[in-house]
Amino acid sequence: MSENNFDRGSALSIFGSDRREDFMALAFALIIAFGVYFTY
Amino acid sequence: MVYTKKNPALFIIGVIMLAIWFMADAGMLSGYIDHLGGKKYKYAGELGSIPLYFGVIAAVIGLWQWFGSHKEGHWDFYSSTIAGAMFILLIAMLVRWFVAPEVAVVSKMMGKVGDTGKYIHKLLGLNYVVLGIVAGIVIVNFFKVPDWAKNGVRVSRLGLKTGVILLGTLYSAAELKNLGGLSIIMIGFFVLGSVGMTLWLGARRGIPNSMGGVLSAGMGVCGVSATVASAPVVQAKSVEIAYTIGTILLWGVGCMFIFPIVGNLLDMSYLKFGAWAGTGILNSAQVAGAALAYQPDGIETLKVAEIFNITRVLVLPIIVMWLAVWYVKREQTGTKVSVGQVIFEKFPVFVLGFILLFALSTTGMFAPANHYKGKYFDNSKVSAKKMMSDADIAELQANADKVQRADQKAALERLIAGRKVASIDDDATIRGLANSKVMGKKSGKILKKAHKAVRHTAKKIKAFRQWITWLFAFGLVGLGMQITVSSMKQAGGQPAVIGGIVGFTKAVLSLLVVMLIVKDTI
Repeated sequence: MSENNFDRGSALSIFGSDRREDFMALAFALIIAFGVYFTY
Repeated sequence: MVYTKKNPALFIIGVIMLAIWFMADAGMLSGYIDHLGGKKYKYAGELGSIPLYFGVIAAVIGLWQWFGSHKEGHWDFYSSTIAGAMFILLIAMLVRWFVAPEVAVVSKMMGKVGDTGKYIHKLLGLNYVVLGIVAGIVIVNFFKVPDWAKNGVRVSRLGLKTGVILLGTLYSAAELKNLGGLSIIMIGFFVLGSVGMTLWLGARRGIPNSMGGVLSAGMGVCGVSATVASAPVVQAKSVEIAYTIGTILLWGVGCMFIFPIVGNLLDMSYLKFGAWAGTGILNSAQVAGAALAYQPDGIETLKVAEIFNITRVLVLPIIVMWLAVWYVKREQTGTKVSVGQVIFEKFPVFVLGFILLFALSTTGMFAPANHYKGKYFDNSKVSAKKMMSDADIAELQANADKVQRADQKAALERLIAGRKVASIDDDATIRGLANSKVMGKKSGKILKKAHKAVRHTAKKIKAFRQWITWLFAFGLVGLGMQITVSSMKQAGGQPAVIGGIVGFTKAVLSLLVVMLIVKDTI
């Protein structure tokens, strides 16, 4: 997969920047963490 | 551009998942599950729920993608990833539930390897992680990733990052009090030394900065987590991550066999050998394998090696920060780089997330603060049913004379008097006594039962482990799908050479340090 084939994101990510991907990962992780905290 | 493909692929994936759930639920897989381990098969619970939930989601969204109308925009772009993500998830399910257990069955048929007390699939790390990457590589090279799945493959790194953040929940700063000063100094020195040496060698041998960066974290810290956590910081390609994991595992296998031989030749104490194995070997399972091979009849070596192993994980955020600054400086030669600015602009937020959840875990929010990977000691929670019976006590008393070591004798006396393990130190001693088998098979079983009665697993941490497992399985299958044969050829054999040099140097130097400095206490 070449990086140039993607007009949005890169070959490794659908996000435009690493930081945006990091914040998405953080948001998902916090959702899971709170879900686990209140479920178990 | 409209990204969503109007085809039945996602719907079919949903139907396959639902079929797996239905067959498991109706008992149609029971014959095969018996073959994979019967009662010991760990995934029966997962088979009864996960494919149902995801199957329904995939089938419903699949119908909408197939027959609905799609317009250009953010929603179209992000929802187009679902088909590929579900495709990866289906492969991860098949690998975790069927392929990895099948490999374990074949491995067990081949018997345990020498004195390590472990089967070959454990020693080679042939678990769902490695097999997931291999499955991804096979798919991309033999069948190609279909167009409708390509966007989904690009969310695999998001899954890995989320998994790394959640990894923070498994550890607690309370563990730090179990770590002696020497283990922190030794690990700190050798982790930083290995990272520095790999980066230096990488530059000299002309490998890309991204490859050198990710390899240094793998060689310095340990295993898959460190490699995955450092990869985004140095913009590592999928093939570079896979090479690093391969190098670590192969190097670890060699060490696992050589370390016990050297240890026996030098007549090292359990403590010295544990410290050496925990410092010199990179992968946790292989550290345990070498420690058990050196001391098959007790766990003193294993405990020391484990302590050194834990210390390495705690150094991870420092290494990631170092690599962030190093990478930017290397890539922006000629321009003046401000370290503070680099940290502010490039420091990965997901590593801060790891630290945040580690801090929350330390407060005791998810499990008692003294837990390690969700397991903790508490002898006040032993139910009447789990207290030792009169018959158990009579059996232990009949064999008590066989115990020679004073500490084991004392712990055994306290166990018999209290009908349960008296303290966390006694728990370690009793576990060692059970492993030594000096009291016979029946007594050994009673001792193990007493040990299990005071060890508890926090439900929340168990749930987190489940999430981390799936996120890593998902991420690594997707990562494998980005590794083509041509990209492997491009990376060449340099990572293995550099890994070998750094690993050998670390093993020799740590052996010297252990022999010269480590006395009887840590």
